Amino acid sequence: MDMKRSYYRDLRLFDTWPLGLWLVVCAALLALVPFFAGNYLMYVLGYIAINAMVALGLNVLVGYTGQISLGHAGFFAIGAYATVLLAKAGVPIPLALVAAAFIAAAFGFLLGLPALRLEGPYLAVITLGFGLTVENIFAKAEFFGGATGPSVPPFSLSLWPGFSREQNLYWLIMLCAGGTILAIRNLMRTRVGRAFVAIRDSDVAAACAGVDLTWYKTLAFAVSAAFTGVAGGLFAFHLGQVDPTTFNLMLSILFLAMVVIGGVGSILGPLLGAVTISLLNLKLKGLKLADFEQIPLAGKEIAGFISRHFMETGMANIQFIVYGGILVLIMVFEPLGLYGLWIRAKRYWRTWPL
Amino acid sequence: MFQPLLRIAALAASVFAVALAPTAQAQQLTGVTDTEIHIAAWGPQTGPAAPWGAVTRGTAMLFQMVNDAGGIHGRKIVFHPFDDQYNPAKTVAGVKELVEKAPGIFAMASGVGTSPGLAVKDYLMERGIPWVGPAAGSLHWVTPPQKALFAMYPLYADEAKLLVRHLVDKEGKKKIAIFYASDEYGENGHRGAMAELTRLGLKPAVEVSVNQADRDLKSHLLKLKDSGADAVLMWVNPTHAVITLKTAAALQFSPQWATSSTLSDAVMMQAITGGLWKNMIYASFGELPDADVPQVKKYRDAFAKYAQQGERWGVFFMAGIGFVEPLVEGLQRAGRDLTRDSFIKAMESIKGYKGVMGRVTFGPGERQGQREIFLARTDDTGTKVTQLTPWAEVK
Amino acid sequence: MDILGNLPQVLFSGLAAGSVYALVALAMVIIYRTTEVLNFAQGDMAMMSTYVGLGLLVAGGLPFFWAMLGALAFAAALGAFSEFAFLRRAKEPTVLGLIIITLGIEMIVFGFASWKWGGDPRDLPTPLSPADVVVIGGVIMSYLELATIAISATTISALFLFLNRSKAGLAMRATQQNRAVARLMGIRVRRVEMGAWALAAVIGGIAGLLVGPATTVEPYMMWDPMMKGFAAAVLGGMTSLAGAALGGAIIGIIENLFGFYVSTAFKSVVPFAAILLMLAIKPSGLLARHYVKKV
Repeated sequence: MDMKRSYYRDLRLFDTWPLGLWLVVCAALLALVPFFAGNYLMYVLGYIAINAMVALGLNVLVGYTGQISLGHAGFFAIGAYATVLLAKAGVPIPLALVAAAFIAAAFGFLLGLPALRLEGPYLAVITLGFGLTVENIFAKAEFFGGATGPSVPPFSLSLWPGFSREQNLYWLIMLCAGGTILAIRNLMRTRVGRAFVAIRDSDVAAACAGVDLTWYKTLAFAVSAAFTGVAGGLFAFHLGQVDPTTFNLMLSILFLAMVVIGGVGSILGPLLGAVTISLLNLKLKGLKLADFEQIPLAGKEIAGFISRHFMETGMANIQFIVYGGILVLIMVFEPLGLYGLWIRAKRYWRTWPL
Repeated sequence: MFQPLLRIAALAASVFAVALAPTAQAQQLTGVTDTEIHIAAWGPQTGPAAPWGAVTRGTAMLFQMVNDAGGIHGRKIVFHPFDDQYNPAKTVAGVKELVEKAPGIFAMASGVGTSPGLAVKDYLMERGIPWVGPAAGSLHWVTPPQKALFAMYPLYADEAKLLVRHLVDKEGKKKIAIFYASDEYGENGHRGAMAELTRLGLKPAVEVSVNQADRDLKSHLLKLKDSGADAVLMWVNPTHAVITLKTAAALQFSPQWATSSTLSDAVMMQAITGGLWKNMIYASFGELPDADVPQVKKYRDAFAKYAQQGERWGVFFMAGIGFVEPLVEGLQRAGRDLTRDSFIKAMESIKGYKGVMGRVTFGPGERQGQREIFLARTDDTGTKVTQLTPWAEVK
Repeated sequence: MDILGNLPQVLFSGLAAGSVYALVALAMVIIYRTTEVLNFAQGDMAMMSTYVGLGLLVAGGLPFFWAMLGALAFAAALGAFSEFAFLRRAKEPTVLGLIIITLGIEMIVFGFASWKWGGDPRDLPTPLSPADVVVIGGVIMSYLELATIAISATTISALFLFLNRSKAGLAMRATQQNRAVARLMGIRVRRVEMGAWALAAVIGGIAGLLVGPATTVEPYMMWDPMMKGFAAAVLGGMTSLAGAALGGAIIGIIENLFGFYVSTAFKSVVPFAAILLMLAIKPSGLLARHYVKKV
């Protein structure tokens, strides 16, 4: 029932007008957050939005074009460093972010070149190497501030005078995230987007149909990198600090996990994935021995067993078990990720009670 | 036609008013009630920096001892430690959450790591929230001095200087190599050693850096050996120190090793190197964990009573106590009428305070409380430790 | 710097490091060529097996040999369990989905091991001290390194024979090439997949037990060898056993040459530059046959 019956329906920005309305309402609500919430909520929402930008950008590459990247932390770092260094040199922040997008895109283009001949694990290892190299160069070069990273200038952009720095930064992040969603949605409605999808479905067939593989594959890398770069620039201001070691392989893997957990090849999927992974990152906590004593019936015995056989000082690590367990559960039960769950739920209610 | 516009303007104005209200409210959270003082700290309990998490747990034990001894002027300390995995994104989230939720946080204690600390420093200072004893020897805490930031950790560069001076003057070493981690800790040690070598008119035999992820250090050690160095300044983390000594043994390379306070836990190092930790010269910013002085004995006895299963009485745990002792002292001096201003005044009155660290002195312009360090050495069996130099400030 | 004089020493050190990478690479290749899964949990499964070995040795008081055997038995069980409990349960999995499942397994194993044993590094005592060395032609070889190379070479040869000459090895290859047909031919595909995971976990476990004594036992001990092993597997062609072994040796040697003669700062990224160059010339890896994709 989700079939699109006409070509023009496929070209619409929003499938249906209620959907468009809902999106406007959501956007308005997010824009109003700084009026009633404190710094903490703004920080969490900003963090989610930045991750969402990366996930959406990475999805262009992974979900729509069918490539893989274990090096997006590298683009994220390039964006962060470019923005910070330009802003320190006196370039206005919006301009610095745009420049960061172009610089990251240029590196994306370069990384896309080997991708022309490689796929699967081969591409994975090359992108992984790219991420490591970027992390290493930033951490080693005096010019980039060495192991401490460059100091981040205060976020001076004022979108709405009279409001605090955090509030203005929040609005800028939300604007950029909203812009990313629109831009990618639009991109996928164009000739370029259809070329990406054709490459994913079969690159040989796409080439036969006249899609220039060289151009479009590298372009997919560049587009993906550009959004990630802007997100990196915003992240530098969001954190107020740049540390080269945080742009590591684990970050790249988590970016990929956002896309896959959410569901590749959609807009909603990476958004859901970014929300899930971000909240897991920020909110997961370990347990305490007292928590185990709460278990009904055998609480005391379980706690006793645990304190005999496990490190009490290591109990914070239970969060990794929970984290990994959630990843495994989602992927085992729904290969399409959270987006797949959403589709299934929708279908269930639409045909209810059949 | 102006009526709708007016209505929109009125709406905007009321929204504006609502917007300003919560910020004003947030500033009233001081973290002090009639019966409680709320203090928070971040420290990695998980992830690659997890061994440093002992600092936070040491701080927790100190507060527990204070509470059990009756608290401070009728108030108990409520401690909110959280695990940030040495990830600044998590540190910021944790600090903002605690500071902005009633009853707020009165002050931050210890707090492990340079980059997590840098990520929240401005946020804390803008709100005037005192922060005592950041657990990282960085120049960023006191350049420039901040009104509410009281640093305890002596600079790594000072330790490196003292070690190089000792190696050259007392041990007669001429070819000193520098082996350092490529992070802020390693770079600071490297910088200090280079400065001292230049002052002495010497050149390092070789400078070799090591990445955090590296587990194969053979080419590093070959380089050190090939340089013909007779002493090596080792500025790496405990894991790399173990691999370094094992690899050096396999290459029959045995210079005089000298290392930082981070590796001053001789008992642990002896255990995890399988007995290679001998004849080591190292710097220390606190009394040694097995020292027989009353300040240390008091906590060592308490440790048996309070420590969690799996805890180890070591340098990191003790540092968590030492960094925060002045905070407790400051709270005592501030008296019952506790505000952030009265606390900062009380902190500034601390002169020559001696706990498990060296002597601590703060003042109106002085925010680096402790500068004293000393050198120690393990003997050939690796079990007996002797103090080489008295407590002293590095000039 | 004595450039030529040190060359044999550097090559030997590289070979010792490379033989561990080769084992990890083999483990990844065994799983990849049976089930087409990139196993990110390989390193941490090995880490946990090493901890189990350490526990049997120190807390359990078993003799060294039996403790290590116990660790490998645990590794086999862990590998088989992971396949049985997680990967087999996936419904119509995608390649990316399977990667994320192994990432989840990695986190679970990591969390469990750090909870059980804490984050502090530990010493794995062996009968060989790191200072036991033999000097041959000016090259200092420690017994530990010699043992590492010998054990690794033996394991690789045994594996080679097993997978190329036995029915089980043939079944593994058949499973990878066409699962459905393999099943029709009477191969118990699921059992073969579980066996591949168990075997890979054992090979990885051996790598862990070799890394442990040379470094230290801690939750992150296998992070670097695992990455290098992955690189070695790709360098060798991802499906070729000999390629993986060769890839491991090459990466170990390149790394050490670069680290000694050029710079230790960028030592860990050099293998990837080498791979990029190699893949530019031969996109399917050193020893893998270039396959022609059907449309």
